[in-house]
Amino acid sequence: MIKSRPAAAPPAVETPLVYAHGLAALVTLLISVCFGFLAAMEMVAPDVAGGSPWLTWGRLRYDHTQGIMLGWLGNAFFAFLYHAVPVLSGRSVTSPKLGQWLFGLWNFAVVLPGWILVLAGHSQPLEWAEFPLVVDAFVVLCLVLAAVQFLPPFFSRGLEDLYVSSWYIIGGLVFTLLSYPMGNFVPELVPGARGAAFSGLWIHDAVGLFVTPLALAIIYFVIPAATRKPIYSHFLSMLGFWLLFFLYPLNGTHHYVFSVIPMIAQIGAITASTLLGVDVIIVVANLLLSLRGTGWFPGDPALRFVGTGTVFYLIVSIQGSVQAQMSVNQSVHFTDWVVGHSHMAMLGFASFAALGGIVHAWQRIPWARYHAGMINAGYWLLFAGLIMMVTDLTIAGLVESSAWKSAAPWIESVRAAKPYWAVRVLTFVPIGAGFLFVMTGLFVGEPGDGLKSIQRELGLEPVEAIAPRFAQEVG
Amino acid sequence: MKRLLRMSYLVAGLAGVGFFAMSILLLGVWPGQALERQIEQTRPQHPPAPTVSEQRGRVIYGREGCAYCHTQQIRYLDNDVRRFGKATLAWETIFDYPQLWGTRRVGPDLSREAGVRSSDWQFTHLYGPRGVVADSVMPAFPWLFDGAPDRPNQEARDLVDYLETLGRNRALAGPEGEAHARESCNCSDDERRYAFGTGLLNASPAMARRTGDFPKLAAGDPARGREVYRQNCLSCHGPRGEGDGKGAAGLHPRPANFAEREYTVDRLSFAMWNGVSGTAMPAWRELPMADLAAVAEVVRGFHAKQPEPQIPQAVLELGARVYSDRCAQCHGTTGAGDGSAAAQFPIAPTNFRTQRPDIATSLRALREGIKGTPMAPWAGELSEAELSAVAYYVRTFFTGGAP
Repeated sequence: MIKSRPAAAPPAVETPLVYAHGLAALVTLLISVCFGFLAAMEMVAPDVAGGSPWLTWGRLRYDHTQGIMLGWLGNAFFAFLYHAVPVLSGRSVTSPKLGQWLFGLWNFAVVLPGWILVLAGHSQPLEWAEFPLVVDAFVVLCLVLAAVQFLPPFFSRGLEDLYVSSWYIIGGLVFTLLSYPMGNFVPELVPGARGAAFSGLWIHDAVGLFVTPLALAIIYFVIPAATRKPIYSHFLSMLGFWLLFFLYPLNGTHHYVFSVIPMIAQIGAITASTLLGVDVIIVVANLLLSLRGTGWFPGDPALRFVGTGTVFYLIVSIQGSVQAQMSVNQSVHFTDWVVGHSHMAMLGFASFAALGGIVHAWQRIPWARYHAGMINAGYWLLFAGLIMMVTDLTIAGLVESSAWKSAAPWIESVRAAKPYWAVRVLTFVPIGAGFLFVMTGLFVGEPGDGLKSIQRELGLEPVEAIAPRFAQEVG
Repeated sequence: MKRLLRMSYLVAGLAGVGFFAMSILLLGVWPGQALERQIEQTRPQHPPAPTVSEQRGRVIYGREGCAYCHTQQIRYLDNDVRRFGKATLAWETIFDYPQLWGTRRVGPDLSREAGVRSSDWQFTHLYGPRGVVADSVMPAFPWLFDGAPDRPNQEARDLVDYLETLGRNRALAGPEGEAHARESCNCSDDERRYAFGTGLLNASPAMARRTGDFPKLAAGDPARGREVYRQNCLSCHGPRGEGDGKGAAGLHPRPANFAEREYTVDRLSFAMWNGVSGTAMPAWRELPMADLAAVAEVVRGFHAKQPEPQIPQAVLELGARVYSDRCAQCHGTTGAGDGSAAAQFPIAPTNFRTQRPDIATSLRALREGIKGTPMAPWAGELSEAELSAVAYYVRTFFTGGAP
């Protein structure tokens, strides 16, 4: 039996690895956003790339989403984990050396070659699985390494002392490792409709079992760490967690409603999607109650990012429950409505949470530069850009849907959508600038100003005095 | 208490992995088995597997992200079935490694693309989509060509071969295959209605037909006609109807030159309603009747009426003799394009009763033939006098002159 011991002192955080992954996250983020911008641009001016195969829409589209998921969020999550796992578990991560390997493999055996291979025409036409199989093998290897790196500190500590954020970290890492091969390899071996059933699962698991748990781990971590108050209800945290892991995997088939996949499976997935909305209400209620007293836009940019991400999580999940319903799904499926939905999820929820996590970790690197003004400016630009983009795409989806229901020729729906696609291109300005501002805010300013500025502002005790207390109070 | 708590976390941990396994069983494996059974029940005996070229084309289709704008899945919904044809059956997807169903439709669904378009249209469309669809936002794929739309390289040919497999096996299964699938499918009444209902297997409004009815067109609104022409016709037929639009260069035969032919309204109505089978001209059955009428007006307006010359009787007699010897076999004794040999050609011979080419146009066709059609050059066979006599003679068939 594992003996649980409260940590005597906060263990060493591998700040170089936090910094390296944070930097890689922000660089890959900017590149991924540029892929997205070019793809959006080509829907307005299709010949803008001059007929180069390397810049054709399809390949840019693949690199955009893979870059966001693996390059940006992957690195951001790793950065956060290097900061959070020692604090949460009271143990160091397994090995800094392993960390260097993980960093190198993730960025130079997965993200970079994945991007290049896709642009060169070697890819897999499966959603959220576009990197070619050879790259997938390295992803799986890296997920195993990540499990080795981040899980033992929790287990050597003893399960009963786990904080809710730890649950999400463990869940996210384990379930991603389980579901990634299913989404990437099974449809290559199981054809057509049968394979699509598995693809549907993965489309949702990528978001539900990788992005969501780790983004929630950040939110559950940053809120109490930044507010210096515990989460409102541990019971609600646990309820939310287990419902999420019960319901999320059962959602996948809602991507293929009205398909040939057995109707009972579709209805099951739709039911799970509906219940998932209820679960998210529980989770978000708990988080928002924990945020009481900080206002809608807290002064600490990390808290502000995760707070806003929490609200977007609520909105996007309720929207997801609604659009899984057959009556809604038959209208909005296949339209830009869903593209708006996924941007709300990946940008509004996951990226805001990830930015909050990075900013929070940055504040706690004594030598990292920090400029609150730049980060705040970035926040507002992102906030405005996201609202603009999601609103635009949602309306576009409704316009397309009504064109498809009419007797008008197909091309009418394309013509009708063009103004909205033009607006989407414009949203690159606030979103691209927003990310750039945040990034700049983390590389200019005074070294160590992150924590100092917050402490100055709030008159609070330093976090180092608090970390060990976490370990004890929860147990 | 502590021990109990520890146990509960362990149980919960195992349950977590169990949830994941359950999702795979409930939403992956079990539906897969149901689909497998349905496939066994409904599939035809020996649906042709894709050829090597078609498989290569499929890889290119995947590589270029085609599936991210074109779905390959007709849902069990009225709107899908009405627009694209009968709902996709599971057995139709048995060769799809991996599936390419897609989750976004920017362009139309391609589940039933086989036989809808001519290959010169497909090549021109891949080389430069706006050459045939003015407002398309599809990327151009010039790297699949050796510099021109009618010079596809192996990859473009593979890709078009692949496109021709989409929906092919269902069409090949024929009425017997449909009846077999319909009877043995263990599906609900709704599913049966969408998969085997009364609609067309392929509902593409662009699919060309060699024969068929066509609407009687009333007078149209010229302003609307110019707009519809600009949106749908100009890219091939050109701004002045001279058959010199952006997409014309890759099309064989070239798009019709409206400036050098006179058409009856019925001929234009037939061509718009049914397409011109064997050419890149698709059908436009999806356009409202008023738009078709308006476009017909615009198209007829491209031809400037010339005073009819008085042709000496002797010339017409010579023309009639040459025509009956050399032309009637295809173009028919009454010029209706219904000669005894007509049916064997992929493209219907010109019907001179509904269109009247200018003299220069006929002479050019007689001397040089028409590329991309069975019309051969006659310059070596016939004398200049015979050529011009027959060029004058075919004009006498026209039924659409002044009333």
